[in-house]
Amino acid sequence: MSRPFPYTYISCPCANTPVPDPSKKRRSRESPQKSNPDQPKPLVPIDDEDEAFDPRSPRANFSLYPPEQLLYCEDCHQIKCPRCITEEIVCWYCPNCLFETPSSMVRSEGNRCARNCFNCPSCTAPLSVSTLENVVVGGTSQQGPWVLSCGYCMWSTLDIGIKFDKPTNIRTQLSKLTEATPVRSRQMSRTFGELKSPLSTYSSIDEHFPPPGETNTKPEDSPEQPTIPLNSDARFNALKNFYKTQISATSSSPTDPLGMDFGAGFSSPGALNRIMSLYTSSSRLSSLYGGANKKPKTRPPVMREALTASEGLKIPAPDAEEALIQRIAGPDCGWDGLASLEQRSFQSPDARFVEDLLPLPVLLRTKRSKRCKSCKHILVKPELKPQSTRFRIRLIALSYIPLPTLRPLNPGPHAAAVLPTPAGSTAPTTSTSTTLTNLDALSPLRPIQLLLTLKNHMFDPVRVTLATPSVTPGRVASKVTILCPQFDIGANSDVWDEALQGAAAATPAPGTATATATATTTPSTDPRGSRSGGLGVYEKVAEAGKVWDKGRNWTTVVLEVVPGTLPGGVRPSKTKKYPVHDNEPDTTTTNTNKNNNNNKKKAHNASDSDNDDDEDDNDSDSSADLPALDWTGQADDPGQKLQPDEDVLEIPVFVHMEWDSENQIDNEQAVGRSSGDTVKRELAYWMVLGVGRIVQ
Amino acid sequence: MTSASSSFAFDDKRPISMSFRHSQSGGPSSPHTPQHHLRSNNSSFASSSSASTSFRGEEDAIIFEFGSRWLRAGFEGESSPMCVVGCGPEESRRVGDYRGWLRNSHGTEPPSVKAEEWTGAYELWKMNVRDMELGLIEDKIERMFRETYNKYLLTDAGTSRLVLVLPSIMPHPLLSSLLSTLFSRWRFPSITLLTTAPMAVIAAGMRSALVVDIGWSETVVTGVYEYREISLKRSTRAMKLLLQDTGRLLTRLSNNSAASQPGDEIAVNFDLCEEVASRFLWCQPTVSPKGSLGPSQQQVAEPQESDVDTANQGLASVSDEIVSLPSPSAPGTAYIDIPYSKLTEPVEGVLFAKGVPDCELDDEEKPLPLLVYNTLLSLPPDVRGTCMSRIIFIGGGSNIPGIRQRILNEVAFLVQQHGWSPVRGKVIEQQRQRLQTLRLSQAPPPADLTPEVSPDSPKSPTETSTSETQDEEEIDPIEQKIRRNNKDKDTVPPVQGVFREVESLGSWAGASLLTSLKTRGLVEIEREKYLQHGLAGASRDLETHGHAPDRRSGLRTGGDRSSWTLAGWG
Repeated sequence: MSRPFPYTYISCPCANTPVPDPSKKRRSRESPQKSNPDQPKPLVPIDDEDEAFDPRSPRANFSLYPPEQLLYCEDCHQIKCPRCITEEIVCWYCPNCLFETPSSMVRSEGNRCARNCFNCPSCTAPLSVSTLENVVVGGTSQQGPWVLSCGYCMWSTLDIGIKFDKPTNIRTQLSKLTEATPVRSRQMSRTFGELKSPLSTYSSIDEHFPPPGETNTKPEDSPEQPTIPLNSDARFNALKNFYKTQISATSSSPTDPLGMDFGAGFSSPGALNRIMSLYTSSSRLSSLYGGANKKPKTRPPVMREALTASEGLKIPAPDAEEALIQRIAGPDCGWDGLASLEQRSFQSPDARFVEDLLPLPVLLRTKRSKRCKSCKHILVKPELKPQSTRFRIRLIALSYIPLPTLRPLNPGPHAAAVLPTPAGSTAPTTSTSTTLTNLDALSPLRPIQLLLTLKNHMFDPVRVTLATPSVTPGRVASKVTILCPQFDIGANSDVWDEALQGAAAATPAPGTATATATATTTPSTDPRGSRSGGLGVYEKVAEAGKVWDKGRNWTTVVLEVVPGTLPGGVRPSKTKKYPVHDNEPDTTTTNTNKNNNNNKKKAHNASDSDNDDDEDDNDSDSSADLPALDWTGQADDPGQKLQPDEDVLEIPVFVHMEWDSENQIDNEQAVGRSSGDTVKRELAYWMVLGVGRIVQ
Repeated sequence: MTSASSSFAFDDKRPISMSFRHSQSGGPSSPHTPQHHLRSNNSSFASSSSASTSFRGEEDAIIFEFGSRWLRAGFEGESSPMCVVGCGPEESRRVGDYRGWLRNSHGTEPPSVKAEEWTGAYELWKMNVRDMELGLIEDKIERMFRETYNKYLLTDAGTSRLVLVLPSIMPHPLLSSLLSTLFSRWRFPSITLLTTAPMAVIAAGMRSALVVDIGWSETVVTGVYEYREISLKRSTRAMKLLLQDTGRLLTRLSNNSAASQPGDEIAVNFDLCEEVASRFLWCQPTVSPKGSLGPSQQQVAEPQESDVDTANQGLASVSDEIVSLPSPSAPGTAYIDIPYSKLTEPVEGVLFAKGVPDCELDDEEKPLPLLVYNTLLSLPPDVRGTCMSRIIFIGGGSNIPGIRQRILNEVAFLVQQHGWSPVRGKVIEQQRQRLQTLRLSQAPPPADLTPEVSPDSPKSPTETSTSETQDEEEIDPIEQKIRRNNKDKDTVPPVQGVFREVESLGSWAGASLLTSLKTRGLVEIEREKYLQHGLAGASRDLETHGHAPDRRSGLRTGGDRSSWTLAGWG
């Protein structure tokens, strides 16, 4: 993805509750909170859940958010994404001049700034007002007509032949200029004064009331008549006026005020007797009308259609399209003379050429307060003033959920030097990984180790259980193992406290912490875990069942990832790395075995993906290179082609956290024991770790 | 019988019965009290549900028009939508994924994909719901709405009435998930549904018209008479196929040497292709008789460049022009020059089925002129006469320069060739000849069997085609009487029987116009009622609304408010 690797995304739990379709019975899916990972089964949630979260599914794009964009509702105790909040606008302001627009004015100004803020129609950069001539006469400088000009692409309103008389109130000047000009022709250079002439306005009295003799020929004649065609705004208004007059003419005709249809009948004075008899007859309108007036003498007049251009009718000239074609093909138009789709998106619908583009007033922006959708509590409330960036209330999720950060584990130089002794074969791996953990180019099937740090911002210690599918979903199946899936994170206590504590008992404090950690995690691990714990003499070797590092309010665990092979063929690089691979799958299998046999079994059972087969072949025999080659030969058909972003290694991780709230005083003792007055809280969500991009 | 409208004979002609806020003193009306508070339809003032609607403030309704690709949104009473939002892959990225802004990433060669996938990523929905994930569509709709409100409408979502302009045929699962998403996500008090075609008619100032909607996935030709959809025909020859064809053309242009490219694969950037299509695609407005036989007669299978020389002299020079486009392989750096005439090939091939014999065309892929002709043919003669002189082009394809004239010309040619008769074939032709010789003895018939439709003669072809024995200048006494009776009102006889194009402001503007006149739609879904039963709560009993069960215009003429209906969507 576009974020630099590694990144983390959090999936809002609201994605698991589908939009209720009232016509069907509610398919109540199990929400992720209901999983119960209290039992010492490390990876139970995955088996219990419906299915693992797939970060590659198209729907996932709509539920994944960067952690910093999420909110948290303290009453629902739930993460809130933009989909599960409602928003209320606090104020409207122009992002360019930072002036606030009163709410009554927003609509009438078309949601755009009414001052001098404009965007360039061709490149969207802000336009500046500048003068054309600057003649200094005497002491005062005489400034000429003004134009709007773009500092980026050098566009100016002179290109479309518009000059302004004053440097202020550009918007009103511009709207007058554009409203009065029906169809903009490019050669005409207009100034404000020119357009004030009454000849340039389209509507005249006699257009509204055509003489009766002339009306017969009107519809046929109107295209030929040199009447200036209206632009779409004016046409719309003409149509609106036309419909209004038609409705009033048809609904309340003077000859027969009672015979009309029910539309707006009560306005006329003649409707009084009808109102008087309203309650004598039945309340139904039909009987009312039928009873009150015997029979309509004349038929209700029928609304007619628009007949003249002043009523909004527009019959395009037969040669209009031809002229358009010729202009497009003409030498002075070309590709750059035509407006692009992006440029046209906010212009009038008939703007087709660059000359038709008008400067766009800046769209206003809003400050919004946000409420939880389910309990209506305010989550975010910004300051009212547009200039202020402060918030009165802001419940961001990161102060409640641990902040996940991921980084590759690069063994230090001394560790790499020490490591070769226990197992000589692992030496090339680690040494190469020190040099090669380039996350933008992960080589397939080479295990990497990642450090996942969760930092707690709450004032309560949190117990976290992580779970991940052993093989990432999708075609590029990478194997993932969390070496220590269950751990505690300390409370976000006062820094001074920690400093004091650390001074008092420098060595015991981390010792106890790790002791508790191992005490909690050892039941879940194999006895082999303790044996490998003996390996920890060489410090900083990733071990199963042990946290990597732990601080005041953070804990780091190790993830071991074997990136899968891409379905595009891995011929050249793979054969070279064979000696490495022969050893590495062994280490991973032992690790996974240590962690949970379940997981490994599942991975092998679910060997539906070709990559798994591929890897198994590599394990067993190096001669399995040939089938791999064949397989890559098949990959030429389009179904096997690499989809965009399929090579990105993303790991879905299910996070379940548990804490006792309201015991902020004695947090150190409260670990593991829940006293009676505290409330146990838990929160569960999926998180996606973007590790890197796999290359071939 | 529930509404007053059913008691009057002429009320069927007035589906728009409305009250409006501002007192309109149109010329000949008597002085009357301004009507300020009667916002809702008067017919329902006795029912309880309208009371709640009238208490709502003067909040302007918000109008959304849904297409397969674009969502137009804005306030009622405005002439054009505030914004047009797409739902392409750029819009469906994760939050915080700003890849679309990295323009330099475009240097990579776009992979060649199948044409269907190439366009499929840019669609909001397909009308074929079978292999569509409705949840994904709900997600997209939710995000589009939220961002539209936050970025463009700048008003609190859910406070005001919502008006949706939808195609007149929607799969129920789609409609249901659309409404469920909107109702459950925001607190819209009610949602009104309006159909696309009658709205375009309203925005043209007409009451009846033939609406040719050259849309994304299909071209829909709708005959609208008195704001009602009378008949409707559709064809898959629309912008999607056109864009795919343009993509193939650009792919061929970009790698001339590599002929190994499979036929269906497109290896150009979609945005670039759409740019090219929107800027440069065009169409010969007039075709010489030989060329215009194209859709009906058999021609060479492959489109030849030499066909262009059949263009009339006015545009002959245009065809020789060379235009330069950004090179599809390296946009932004290089340009390629291609003849302008080449850019009419996709339009000819896709929309007009040039070079494909008529017999090979399936029912759903008729070329546009034939589609228009067939729709007109299926209309009753009177309606046909009215509609053919009010042809409205909407949809993205209507912006292709030259296409409107071309369709009109070809339809006129079809009429000239076949008349208004669906019957074709050699045997029929022989029979006609025989009949004609029989009739020659009695009376001199029109010169040709096909009624000649000349634009200046005011007679309607409906008369000539249906009643062959009658004279052209036959005088209808009833019509004359009607004309005499309301002499004072409109002395203008309606234009009919002539091919004429009328320009519309578009469906969105029509809905805006209609809503600003405070007309209630026939399909108005109240929040509580929908949330109780969903779409299943809609009453199917159309008779309770006092209508014949035909396609509805979407405008409410009054009636019972306690139940709601989906009208044409039901």
